[in-house]
Amino acid sequence: MEILRILISELPQFAKGTLVALEVLAGLLIVGLVLGLAIALAEIFGNTLIKFLATTLRKFLWAIPQLVLLFLVFYLPFDLNRMLAAIIALGLCSSAFQSQIFRGAILSIQSGQLEAAKAMGLSKPKIIFYIVIPQMIRLSIGPWTNEFSSELKDTSLAYVVGVVEIMRNAKYIIAYTYGNTAAVYLFVGILYFTLTRIGTSFFYRLEERLWVPGFEKRSG
Amino acid sequence: MFKFKKQMLSVGFICAAFLLSSLSYAADLPVYKLGIDAAFPPWTWAEKGEIKGFDWELFQYIGQVEGFKVEAADIPWSAIIAALSKGKIDILAGGLSYTCKRAEVIDYALPHWKTDYWTLVKSTSKLNCITAMSNGANVGAQAGTTGYRWLKEELKDKGVNINIKGYESVELGIKELEIGRLDALHVDSPTARGFIEAKRDVRYVCKGLHFDYSAYAVTPGDPHKLIEKINAGIKKAYESGKIEELVRKYLPWASVEAVPYPVDYKAFCTESN
Repeated sequence: MEILRILISELPQFAKGTLVALEVLAGLLIVGLVLGLAIALAEIFGNTLIKFLATTLRKFLWAIPQLVLLFLVFYLPFDLNRMLAAIIALGLCSSAFQSQIFRGAILSIQSGQLEAAKAMGLSKPKIIFYIVIPQMIRLSIGPWTNEFSSELKDTSLAYVVGVVEIMRNAKYIIAYTYGNTAAVYLFVGILYFTLTRIGTSFFYRLEERLWVPGFEKRSG
Repeated sequence: MFKFKKQMLSVGFICAAFLLSSLSYAADLPVYKLGIDAAFPPWTWAEKGEIKGFDWELFQYIGQVEGFKVEAADIPWSAIIAALSKGKIDILAGGLSYTCKRAEVIDYALPHWKTDYWTLVKSTSKLNCITAMSNGANVGAQAGTTGYRWLKEELKDKGVNINIKGYESVELGIKELEIGRLDALHVDSPTARGFIEAKRDVRYVCKGLHFDYSAYAVTPGDPHKLIEKINAGIKKAYESGKIEELVRKYLPWASVEAVPYPVDYKAFCTESN
């Protein structure tokens, strides 16, 4: 099996590619988290205008395919680093999804808690910061794990704007060996599977740890 | 004591060497972004983290004789011409053929290579050069290439009964050919040879029905005045035997011709399109 030998010799490149993919993932999740949280808070606590703007932005980002956003950001008329372009584009897309995770989590906090906080004289920012966000984080971990694994897989799109991640390395090998497509993509599939499993099991454990007895919990 | 002196001396030497090398860097050659698609042998490709290929090595040489450095920027082919026309890269190298349409959005140096096109069929196929591209045959080509345009303009538009199928990559077309969904695949000869040498289940039935010129391209308007340097560099590469060396290394079946070809693009474009 010649291709096995080639794949083994390219392992260092795949390792580098995996690091790049994880960098893109971390970057896009942070962009998506910050913007997504802002959208969620704006949609729940904002006044009519802010609500409208946030909802429009969310719907807009929700509706555009990641590939389109990638090319759109990449071809913006200023010099963006390719990695940054990928992070921003995928992060924007992720923010729409993350905002819905946070919104759902916030809305599931019992309204009695907020009333009690108000009655105790807490200001709105304080309520958000001390009451809403801590509970939201715990409630979001489950659905956020899904977003994490789906975004991990979506980093494979970043190669279209020239980010040398896992997929791009696969394309290199297919190009210079003039074939072996199935074997190379199978290898890449296994690599993504491994990464996803490691990532999600970490978040499952985190969720377990932050679980408060008496509150609902996902099963196994 | 003597030993210590010797050590000091060698330390001094190392320091001097560092200083000198940093001085030569201080003379600062301009660095340009060389856009390549590193999945395109034999022109440019990446193997074990290293960039290789005819165009990549030729550019190292051109930079050396013309006084600039290049830094590789790997961008997939589908995005590369737009990246150049938007100035994301300064130079585009890597088997780019000259077309008049592309010349509207990017500026070309003089061509340095002539690429002919081959028609491939499945190894067991009984088709020949004529039957592979007539009688309602399904003929594939990479979309956006000169080969695709030739099939359309020279065959289909002139009444030859073929169905043209465009593929985003040659690899997809080869796969379809092997499976039997395509009767023939029309592809540039370096790529065709690569697939044949890799023992894919294909053989050629036609060679050289048409050819195109490959040329390096720069950002529209040539802001860094690179075209002249590239043309001069190619000429020097030919005269010094560098081209011959690279052809032997990367395209051993090809003959060495005097490059750059003195092609008048304006005349070329009014004639063929």
